[in-house]
Amino acid sequence: MAVHRAVIAGIGHTAFGRFVGRTALDLEAEAVLQAISDAGLAKHDVDGLITDPGPTQGVINGITPHFLTLGQHLGLSPDFVGSEVLGGASSAASIQRAVMAIEAGLCSVCVCVYGDAALSSPGSFAYGRGEESVFGFFGATGLHALAAQRHMAHYGTRPEHFAEVAIAARAHAARTPHAQLREPLDLDGYLASRLVAEPLRRADCCLISDGAAAVVVCAADRARDMRRAPVSILGFGQAHSLCTWSSPGHFDALPAARCGPATLERAGLAINDIDVVLLYDCFTIAVLMQLEDYGFCKKGEAGPFVEGGRIGPGGSLPVNTSGGLMAEGYGGGMMHVIEAVRQLRGEAGDRQIKGAQTALISGHGLGMNTHATLILGQ
Amino acid sequence: MTSDFHPSPLAFEPSKFTRPFWDACRRHVLQAASCNACSHLFLPAGPVCPQCWSADLGAEALSGRGEIAAFTIYRQAYHPDYPVPYVIALIALKEGPRLISNIVGCAPESVASGMSVTVRFASRGEFVLPLFVPAMAEDSNDA
Ligand SMILES: [Zn+2]
Repeated sequence: MAVHRAVIAGIGHTAFGRFVGRTALDLEAEAVLQAISDAGLAKHDVDGLITDPGPTQGVINGITPHFLTLGQHLGLSPDFVGSEVLGGASSAASIQRAVMAIEAGLCSVCVCVYGDAALSSPGSFAYGRGEESVFGFFGATGLHALAAQRHMAHYGTRPEHFAEVAIAARAHAARTPHAQLREPLDLDGYLASRLVAEPLRRADCCLISDGAAAVVVCAADRARDMRRAPVSILGFGQAHSLCTWSSPGHFDALPAARCGPATLERAGLAINDIDVVLLYDCFTIAVLMQLEDYGFCKKGEAGPFVEGGRIGPGGSLPVNTSGGLMAEGYGGGMMHVIEAVRQLRGEAGDRQIKGAQTALISGHGLGMNTHATLILGQ
Repeated sequence: MTSDFHPSPLAFEPSKFTRPFWDACRRHVLQAASCNACSHLFLPAGPVCPQCWSADLGAEALSGRGEIAAFTIYRQAYHPDYPVPYVIALIALKEGPRLISNIVGCAPESVASGMSVTVRFASRGEFVLPLFVPAMAEDSNDA
């Protein structure tokens, strides 16, 4: 197995929910302090900082040097900094950037942090999409609705198939003590959920949360000093599709179809070797498309594939064992990384996948433009 | 991307590249950027041809006919200027370019994938927007 010369040494996160009066900044600081403590490290060890500013701090309210704000308040003078602005692919991409910086010798302990007070901040998720907003094309839901409608029209995918994804997320979250939404959902509950942009309902959409999550990436040769057994980075990759409207296949396949197989190859693994599957689940349709684009099933067959609780707890392919963005809380994608670490450490409690040795994490962002894949191992 | 909806999306400022498209709409002409080097037609217009990177660009009037590649019916209102329900569609124009617009002149529930549509210009705020109607209904006046 190809193993990178950097490992994940620590994780930390806040609670996820509505926390009036809290800001992204203090949530992020809490997550960073926890992750550094989890790694058995201290402030003076940190020489890298990469931030994922989240939807309301980043994409919606303008791209700012977010690492500057957080780094200033943490009193850091690091050797390497950056902010990822790949939308939902940012968290996975930030881990990748940290590994590259460490392997290039630029730093040795890099904290990657996602944070946002999206629920309590004045920013809105109902943002327009360029000049198309003049037609009333608002929000990420409408964009994903186009893909969902195409999937239904081309492949016969039904609302019951989208429901499987939402129901599985809630069932996983019921086994996740810190999850924001732990109430079970059934098909009737799904169908009673109000339509937002057909065919997508409220229950097809991820949560909006206040919360932060941090992961410490450090040089492998320092890992023996660490408090926790390190988690290996087996492979990573990115692929992007930037021509949103003019690419005829844009709404039919995600760039995951390119970076998924490429990343597996770099890690020396086949898709069936993956024990823990954590797919960026901003909308149910995104999970169905990724199941196809990563090769868990054939193109167009994700609907029937998820029938019968296959991706829920106890199914043959549990997906997003913590409940993901749909139920654990909107953690940008960093909570997917943290869940992978917990599963690989054997610390996932009631939702532990027995003998988990490999985990695949995806990030998917902006107008279905960006994608990042990360494969971790014990 | 815009940060919020104050003022209305109908008050947006076109870029120097997209302004000719909106100006043509005022004349009830739907146009795409055209590449004088490779003949590629594309939307939105920009600094170079996205196919061959030539900066030798012009514009070409389109037929205004196309078909619905994907659509969604908005049921949740996002902005007071846009009462629901309304249809957002990705339209594949006959000449190749694709664009986002609204389908009007028919019940939202009657919209279908692959439906033939034709452009119907309508004034909204300071803009004339290229909306689309089912091809069979092109003579109706309710756009
Ligand atoms: Zn050209």
